[in-house]
Amino acid sequence: MGEYNKPLPNFNGDSKEFWAGCKKHELRFQKCEICSHVRWPASIICPICYSSETKWIAARGNGKVYSFVVYHVAYHPGFENDLPYVVADVELEEGPRLLTNIVGCRPDEVKCEMAVEVTWEDITEEFSLPKFRPYQ
Amino acid sequence: MLLERNADDAAFGHFGAVAGYALAARRAMHTFLTGPETWKSIAVGQRKWANLNPAATMYDHPMTFEDYYNARWIVEPFRLFDTCLMPDGGRAVIITSTERARDLRHPPALIMGVGQHNPSSDVHQATHLAGPTGAKKAGEMALRMAGITLEDIDACEIYDCFTYTVEITLQDYGFFRPGEGEDWLKNGTIEPGGRMPVNTSGGQLSEAYYMGLTPLSEAAMQLMGRCGKRQLGPATDTKSPEIILCSDNGGILQTHSCVLLRRS
Repeated sequence: MGEYNKPLPNFNGDSKEFWAGCKKHELRFQKCEICSHVRWPASIICPICYSSETKWIAARGNGKVYSFVVYHVAYHPGFENDLPYVVADVELEEGPRLLTNIVGCRPDEVKCEMAVEVTWEDITEEFSLPKFRPYQ
Repeated sequence: MLLERNADDAAFGHFGAVAGYALAARRAMHTFLTGPETWKSIAVGQRKWANLNPAATMYDHPMTFEDYYNARWIVEPFRLFDTCLMPDGGRAVIITSTERARDLRHPPALIMGVGQHNPSSDVHQATHLAGPTGAKKAGEMALRMAGITLEDIDACEIYDCFTYTVEITLQDYGFFRPGEGEDWLKNGTIEPGGRMPVNTSGGQLSEAYYMGLTPLSEAAMQLMGRCGKRQLGPATDTKSPEIILCSDNGGILQTHSCVLLRRS
């Protein structure tokens, strides 16, 4: 794998499991054992009922675009060659919304509420990024 | 969140406030069909006020609707003139008791009401991006404290980090219903000579970005009658102001405060 020149995920103790899942091409989220709320970002207690009883579940990887933007300026040199690129907030079937990129179509083809599915980009030995493409 | 890397966002090429507010604006385009046709009237209207303000960064730079549309994209749906300026400088107001203020050289502006509401959620999970934002409850709270209604307001100084922020704030205060901003803004409503002047210094979009102090200091100055060529009243063919509404918000529409000032 060549030199990767973009910022890497800035994971912490809470989100470590999420990124370990990504490495195996699995989208993992915490599900509250008490109220069943599926949450993101990862945290030690449920933001709805404050319970700390949690299990990790695997999401199917399907969702829809809640909102999106098209970058025409590179705020980091690693993204210069990607312009224009799409950053989106994708709402997964299981509930959580994930900040990600939409790939596999032109920026002007992206719409709010468009159905999308996960596609993986293996960027380093340690990390794979969950990106999304139009549902096929 | 705004200037530093937020958790994993940078891995996906997501940086800063422009794109955060652009996500909110895009959701609003989907929810109530707003867009550049609405925002152009805010950018151009505020520029007309800046053209009357020698201290404004854009004093010597008139802008037409065509200029607005011809400007380059920054983070779509925002073009250059949807985004605020980035100046160095400062702004201050002095707050004291009415009794002490009466002994000072200038007539004071009086605080009638304040309100605050903070939806808090980060943009990724927020459900308030297309309104109601914190402006709704903060505005209601300030009006209740002041014992007035929107009908009593003569001008607004709205925190305008982006054009969309002005639209959603005025909408959530109740000046127009969702999606009716384009019509409400038509024909110079917020401009010199308009029926509801907004951001009379040029605001953060066209005067200078001093966070909440750009709107607040301008409202105070207008009520003191210290605004020269852009003074509300006969000089600009607008109502002489008795009451001005000011707003401020922080994060990506995560915090909001509203202040109502009146002439002494």
